Amino acid sequence: MAITKATASSIAPAAKGDLVVGSATNDAAVLAVGTNNTVLTADSSTATGLKWATPAAGGMTLINTGGTALNTTTTVISSIPSGYNSLRIITVVTDPQDDGGGLRLRINEDSTANRHAQGFMGATSNVQFNQTSVPITYSQDNGTPNGITITDIVFYDNTSIWKFATNFGVVNSYLDNARAEFIQTWGAYNQTGAVTSLEFFFNGGVNASGGTVYVYGVK
Amino acid sequence: MSRPIKKIYDCTTGETIEREFTDEEFAQYQADQAAFITEKAEAEAKATAKAALLAQLGITEEQAKLLLS
Repeated sequence: MAITKATASSIAPAAKGDLVVGSATNDAAVLAVGTNNTVLTADSSTATGLKWATPAAGGMTLINTGGTALNTTTTVISSIPSGYNSLRIITVVTDPQDDGGGLRLRINEDSTANRHAQGFMGATSNVQFNQTSVPITYSQDNGTPNGITITDIVFYDNTSIWKFATNFGVVNSYLDNARAEFIQTWGAYNQTGAVTSLEFFFNGGVNASGGTVYVYGVK
Repeated sequence: MSRPIKKIYDCTTGETIEREFTDEEFAQYQADQAAFITEKAEAEAKATAKAALLAQLGITEEQAKLLLS
């Protein structure tokens, strides 16, 4: 149906999805439908004050393309780009070469004493920075890797706050590999520089004989 | 004798390199190993003591958890 403009003749949409919008005081115009999956966005520089635009990308981007296998003594994901809101680290089927190994995370490959602190259920108050890494898993079984862990580091590229990692997951218990070893831990790093690298290794120098780590940037 | 291997994935280039530990990394590795052996021995001693206590009391681990819940 045509719409009579206050100042001139009538206008009408020409196609499905076209919009009739105000273009000035007492004036109207047709805004042609945008391409698929674009969204209507205010833009004062256009004739109608509106435009169709591609929505900002969100979700998770895999930073270490394809994931990185854990099959050496230590594995480092380096040159982590800034610009995401947080990092999400997922490990799957990690497998220490010996029973009892637990996967550790060292931020920025910094092994300087007293810079990492670890917390876990029941031990979170007045915790010293007395570690050189923080725990991802505890007491894993060798040879039966079925576990998964999820670790988040928010504001990882902020340069004025300590870095904080929340971690939870499940692995095969080394006392009985048919049982679950649930993990809920926290890690802190008392330096304020951006996180640019993540180092993974099993405690005690136990080699990794399997597993994959995925590092995602989260918008 | 060859040293442990460090793998490094570079997110910018997509390249992966593997190299032996540096002197500093190797020293840290040895310190980590020593600490782990101590921690593991302590954990195993604790588990053994726990099992012995349960046997002495004549109850299972599940029954002990039930008592404490």
